[in-house]
Amino acid sequence: MEQITIQKYNQITAEKKPRILILEDDAAIRRELFTLLENAGYQGEEITDFAHAKENILAAEADLLLLDINIPGLNGELLLKELRKETSLPVIMVTSRTSEADEVLSMSYGADDYITKPYNPTILLLRIGAVLKRVGSPGSQPSYRGIKVNPAKGVLVKGDRELSLTKNEMIIFLFLLNHQSQIVSRDALMTDLWDNNEFINDNALTVNISRLRQKLSDFGCENAIETKKKQGYILI
Amino acid sequence: MRFGDYLRDKWLDIFLFFFCGGVLISMLYAYKTDRSLIVACTLVYGTGNLFLFFRDFFRKKQFYDTLSDNLDRLEQKYLVAETLKKPQFYEGVYLCQCVYDMGKSMAEYLGRYRQELEDFREYMEIWVHEAKIPIATLMLMYHNSGEGDVKKYTKQLRRLDDYTEQALYYVRASHAENDYLIKEVSLEKIIRKAALKNKDDLLENGFELSVENVEKTVLTDGKWLEFILNQIINNSVKYKREEGVPRIRIWAEESSRRVRLFIEDNGIGILPQDLPRVFGKSFTGENGRLRAKSTGMGLYIAKKLCRSLGHGIDIDSDGSTGTTLCLTFANNDFYRMET
Repeated sequence: MEQITIQKYNQITAEKKPRILILEDDAAIRRELFTLLENAGYQGEEITDFAHAKENILAAEADLLLLDINIPGLNGELLLKELRKETSLPVIMVTSRTSEADEVLSMSYGADDYITKPYNPTILLLRIGAVLKRVGSPGSQPSYRGIKVNPAKGVLVKGDRELSLTKNEMIIFLFLLNHQSQIVSRDALMTDLWDNNEFINDNALTVNISRLRQKLSDFGCENAIETKKKQGYILI
Repeated sequence: MRFGDYLRDKWLDIFLFFFCGGVLISMLYAYKTDRSLIVACTLVYGTGNLFLFFRDFFRKKQFYDTLSDNLDRLEQKYLVAETLKKPQFYEGVYLCQCVYDMGKSMAEYLGRYRQELEDFREYMEIWVHEAKIPIATLMLMYHNSGEGDVKKYTKQLRRLDDYTEQALYYVRASHAENDYLIKEVSLEKIIRKAALKNKDDLLENGFELSVENVEKTVLTDGKWLEFILNQIINNSVKYKREEGVPRIRIWAEESSRRVRLFIEDNGIGILPQDLPRVFGKSFTGENGRLRAKSTGMGLYIAKKLCRSLGHGIDIDSDGSTGTTLCLTFANNDFYRMET
């Protein structure tokens, strides 16, 4: 009985995994992107038939597309322009072309983001997360163990009690919450903080986490954040 | 063309004029010719020759004066043949043809050279894009492997990436004509990108980075500006002080006519005598030489890019307590209306 429920649960989560298409001509980087996405809890899917790229993308009905610009026999920017006529599928351009003109062109053709190689993998995942969130369920309020999180106001709400977090604490908490039950490295947290214009150093991160821990435990969530030695943190 | 010089050049003609004239007159005297005929002959001989002399002088003067005048005013002097009117005398025509042929051959040579440079530039662009793919792949591989100390590998990859980028922008800075795109860009966004790029270096070196008051837009090419900031931050990391907490402070000031972005560090600074030369090619300075690994190209390229974009870049340092760099962006309404 229990076995079945677990299986069922796995099925549901497997179905819920966002599917991300990878259109990239370099086989090595495509493999690594695939692994990166799989490790981050997405379902990657490689497109290798460039001649019928457009049809394949439309048929796949995925949640997001990572699109390179320089593909043999294909221009990513033009492909994007063609795609936009038929679908609003979120597209992130991932390219080694580093001119402003390419970025402006891609964005005007309807790309959701533009990232240049070589990129910080954490940043790529952050951008993917942000785009998926934007198109997925805007306005949905994240929650944790019955605590409602209000990022805009910077407060956690449980019943009629409110707990205010500083901006840094909120960024850290949301990141842990988005990766609940996964180990989150300090580097990933740091990248997210810097990506939000909070250029703090290692000590400040440690201080922020212990304060966040304290606040959560004051709110009835004892040991919510566990430290995994040399690996990072995990929100249980 | 000066008259004195012309006279000196024509000394033989003048000598012959007087000598032959003297001989003729003496001969007329010797044959007891009528006095009035002698006077008439002298007049005809004299005026005829003087006329020829001055005609020649003024024709040449006009041509050569125009030539030297145009040469003075032209920046590309080899194009001077195009500016000349066809002269009235044969030597001039001949000279003009020579100058024209020279100019043409020069232009062809230059054209070939320019084409080669253009090919090289295109190749560099492609090369850098290609080189970035294995760098990106390696970054992902290290990240995916998740093994202990990934940072020591990615740090080297970032250095490699920085050097390829520097080569790309070196070429771009020299052929700026059609490579940039000026539009409104958020300073905050570009600073964030540059900071993220240098995050590991800054954290590893214990830097305190503070960014204030940069929620402004400026007219620039975002990618170029990111490169420039990257060079400046790189320098701050490279020339940090060994003792104490290294700091970088970034802030902006806006007036009606311009936005100024300041990047200040508390590093080893630049000696006063070196300050005027820091934007020179391959310049490392006294303080730079004390540290290894200064190519001296970063600020040189940054300055060239700024010149192309029309930004000011100024540096200030008292030689011991740090360096402040200031980028100046004009608030140009013309561009704003265009975009």
